[in-house]
Amino acid sequence: MTILRYLFYILVFPGALFTIAVGLFMAGIDRKVIAHMQKRVGPPLRQPMYDFFKLLGKETIIPAKANRAAFLAAPVLSFVSLCFIMLFIPIFGFTAINGAADMIVILYLVTIPGAALIIGGASSGSPFASIGISREMVTMMAYELPFVLVLLTVAKKVGGDQLVFNLSLVSDYQAVNGSLLSHWSMIPAALAMLLVIPAEVGTQPFDVAEAENEICEGPLVEYSGSPLALFKLSINMKMIIMTGLFTSMFLGGIRTGFVALDALLFVIICIAVMLVSITTIHAVTARLKIEHLFKFYWTVVAGLALVSTILVWIGM
Amino acid sequence: MFKKLIDKSAAKSPWLFHLNTGSCNGCDIEIVACLTPRYDAERFGFKLAGSPRHADILVVSGPITVQSRDRLIRTIEQTPDPKCVVSIGSCPKSGNVFKGSYGIDGPLDKYVHVDVSVAGCTPKPEAIMEGLYKAALILEKKREAMHK
Amino acid sequence: MIQHFPVLAVMGMFLGAFLIEIFGSKNAAVRNAISFITFTVVAGLVYALVKPIIIDGGVIAYWMGNWEPVAGYAIGIGYEVDALGLVFAIIAITAFWISNLYSFGYMKGEHHLGHYYTLFMMLCGSILGFCMTGDLFNMYIMVEIMTFSAVALTGFITEKDGALEAALKYLVLCSLGSGFILTGIALIYLQCHTLNIAQLASMLSGGLTPTTLLAFALTVAGFGVKSFMVPFHTPLADAHAVAPSPISMVLSGVVTKAGVYGMIRCIYIMFRAMDLTQMQIIITAFGAVTMFVGVSMALAQHDFKRLLAFHSISQVGYIITAAGLGTALGLTGGIFHAMNHMLFKGLLFLAAGAVLHQTGGVTNLDKLGGLSKRMPHTTVCFLFGAAAISGLPPFNGFASKWLIYQAAYTKAAETGNFYYLIITITALVVSVMTLASFVKIAQAVFFGQLSEENKDVKEAPAIMLVPMYILAALCLLTGIFYRPIAADFILPAVRSAVDVVKYIDVMMGEGYAAAAGVYNMAVSNVMVSSWSPIVYLILFVTVFIAAFIVILGSKSDRGATVEVDPKNAMKHSNFFSGEEAVYSHVGGSDMLWGYKYDFKPYYRVMEELHSGRVTDYCNMVVIATAIIVVFMFMFMR
Repeated sequence: MTILRYLFYILVFPGALFTIAVGLFMAGIDRKVIAHMQKRVGPPLRQPMYDFFKLLGKETIIPAKANRAAFLAAPVLSFVSLCFIMLFIPIFGFTAINGAADMIVILYLVTIPGAALIIGGASSGSPFASIGISREMVTMMAYELPFVLVLLTVAKKVGGDQLVFNLSLVSDYQAVNGSLLSHWSMIPAALAMLLVIPAEVGTQPFDVAEAENEICEGPLVEYSGSPLALFKLSINMKMIIMTGLFTSMFLGGIRTGFVALDALLFVIICIAVMLVSITTIHAVTARLKIEHLFKFYWTVVAGLALVSTILVWIGM
Repeated sequence: MFKKLIDKSAAKSPWLFHLNTGSCNGCDIEIVACLTPRYDAERFGFKLAGSPRHADILVVSGPITVQSRDRLIRTIEQTPDPKCVVSIGSCPKSGNVFKGSYGIDGPLDKYVHVDVSVAGCTPKPEAIMEGLYKAALILEKKREAMHK
Repeated sequence: MIQHFPVLAVMGMFLGAFLIEIFGSKNAAVRNAISFITFTVVAGLVYALVKPIIIDGGVIAYWMGNWEPVAGYAIGIGYEVDALGLVFAIIAITAFWISNLYSFGYMKGEHHLGHYYTLFMMLCGSILGFCMTGDLFNMYIMVEIMTFSAVALTGFITEKDGALEAALKYLVLCSLGSGFILTGIALIYLQCHTLNIAQLASMLSGGLTPTTLLAFALTVAGFGVKSFMVPFHTPLADAHAVAPSPISMVLSGVVTKAGVYGMIRCIYIMFRAMDLTQMQIIITAFGAVTMFVGVSMALAQHDFKRLLAFHSISQVGYIITAAGLGTALGLTGGIFHAMNHMLFKGLLFLAAGAVLHQTGGVTNLDKLGGLSKRMPHTTVCFLFGAAAISGLPPFNGFASKWLIYQAAYTKAAETGNFYYLIITITALVVSVMTLASFVKIAQAVFFGQLSEENKDVKEAPAIMLVPMYILAALCLLTGIFYRPIAADFILPAVRSAVDVVKYIDVMMGEGYAAAAGVYNMAVSNVMVSSWSPIVYLILFVTVFIAAFIVILGSKSDRGATVEVDPKNAMKHSNFFSGEEAVYSHVGGSDMLWGYKYDFKPYYRVMEELHSGRVTDYCNMVVIATAIIVVFMFMFMR
């Protein structure tokens, strides 16, 4: 019985199907809103779904110089690990898997899709891909520092005398004390997290790893067909996962009592977060160079997060 | 399982890869103009892809210069099926003003089957979009043909 | 009978070394047989001690020559094996056994192999003796034998460029460390008139006089030199680059741990200073600096084995930080990480050795590439090791790093000291930088494009692949079953590190500790965390299978995967903007450019410090020792 329940969690809600559906929907909203910001109509909301199925219908060409096993396994690894992460994020009071130290596990699990992209790029044997994975790795190094600082800040704020990493406890704390964003000492940390989200998802101005024109799509240059479909899907799934993490950490005080209604509100708030952090920044900026990106994250964003950490540590 | 959805999606989400085989850039500017807010090709799902492996429609402009000929053939070979080749402007179709020159080598259909040809020098963005749209519909037919 | 096993193990090793020197110089078969049998027998002896010591929680005390203490004073050399020492001895003998197997294949064809195996066995014997002895001067002797064997083995392949120079640096710097240890021992003997660790533990627990304080600082610094913390780390990088790969594996996997074990024995048992905040602060400070300097220097290297050496230094930093936190959870994480480090670092060095061996000596990251097509088994083993060291679940690196993070942030929360939060952040960031470094190696060596010179490289022979696969399997298994290992294997070691009363009583007689006024510090119960890797593994496998079925099934719905068609080679060649694919491999120096650009000022300073001159390195050692001495005198009077 428990096995069936866990299978439902993994495959339907909040696992694979939910993440895929909401991720594709959010990606569609993102494109539509950018189009309207640019005073044009834009693709229909179902466009990412069409993209996914079209890619499933293309033939898969594996380059002769590529390492076949790693080439085909990387997208599956990326997709699988992303299906898991959603299980740890509390949807306003409902958490599929409740562990003692969720946030650090999520930190590591979020590294895995990036590592899968890197493995996929490395195995293609193309120099464009090699440069792409080098940039992807530097991007990951760049946003880990502020990400870690934000996690520790939230843990200290919620726990008081001890550090609480359990996300459902964070959510419960917010149900009692109001969402963390309303505590003014957490605002710099929230800003830092909002800036970490586009780097994770890989949109402008932090998408130097997958620069379309500059290095011909970077690590994905040799991918076609269903592996490419899985990678593109992973990018879309990351949208809901990262905004979901932000929502549960900073905006998690809502409790309606019904899981379905909670999930609906959760998705709406995630879309709002996405519009602020991913869409707006995407629409108004150009691409940063890799050295500027690294410097930006380790100075400005880490500085913001550190301000919050110090404020929380001294008790505010 | 998702046969019909996959077939329909082939026409709904055509990704473009632009190949310039020695063009004067006039057609290239008009192609980029298609994606601007005034003409907005993206509402049909068109998107510029960075790698031919991701592309469905290969948009070729320019008379096929001798230097770019091998690169053109190689890039087209590297595109996965189902694919369409669209030639933009009169240069790939007939050579336009460069016909007979020592530096160019023949119309595009000497090397690959051209699915849609948009004539003009330069063709208007609306014409380019109509051509691309027709290519997207041809893509759907090619996708259905792949089932056999 | 069983109390003779420790001495028999050590003596057996030395006897084997002696036998090889006599019989094994000419005949390879005799030599291999003697070494294999010796190692297996000694391993059996050491593993036989697991039951009484670790499972039953006992301590074995053995007086050499039966010189029991007279009137409460120890006059003989005592061997005392408690769980702490046994865990390190097991780490040592396992690494040496596997390395021995690997040496059979790797060193084939070298000259003077008789001397190699002799030195190898002396190195092993000395480390076993070091971990199992209860006498301070005996520890020094064993450390000296270890140092000299290691020096000789480092410079073993004398034709190699830089081998003798590296051996010289190792010799000079480690002799400096040994000098500090000897001075410390002399000072202790001056003050306490005994050399037995158990008796010293009971005498020194009352308070520290200036003499013993100086001795403490010097012994800690000396063992720090042996464990290659920063700034004592410089000979290790050079030594690893030139030593034969099985020796590199042992140097980084075991010799560094011997230094750490010495530090733990001194601080936890002999001087019992671990509950002092100042002690914790300075040890964790050194540990944190070691972590960061190790990994940042590693990111700038372009020699494969030198890069792995700097990673060793960084991981030793993790161990020292964890041990320096002073909590039971920290020490558990530290010792567990020591064991895991031996496993995954050994695996990485063996893989590097395989690459070196098969390509005829090429370790420059810019000159390798694309080897995964020619050496698939080595690639798989390397990827296991890389995933383990980066701390990706479900490998063992994640399990032990997890415990270290938990210990660090629990300490930060308990003491409310922001300093420990910085330690936690450093540990987490260094982990992702480690991942970056291994991505760089994977791309530069195994993926990417195959160059013309390496076109005919063959896979490593089976005798070299078997140890690698053993280590890879152990990495995965210790990661999945980390909870029983941490609870049943590591925790007894931690308990014995804290249970000084038992240590003293077993050696010197019942009630000695109580009479001297020694009591145990209260230590909180170690709660091994609730992260359960088996659940993850099962879930991963389930979804993997589902994904594969979905992708590979229903072929008519999607385009077929086209195999490489020899008639249509263009289709399957890499996209080069239409050009014909030429050799353009992105090598090690080209990777991670953005990071290196931003850290240029830092690297300029580091380059100055790592000048290559022995005198500069000696300066660093002396200055760091002076800092330790001054710190202790200022804050611990």
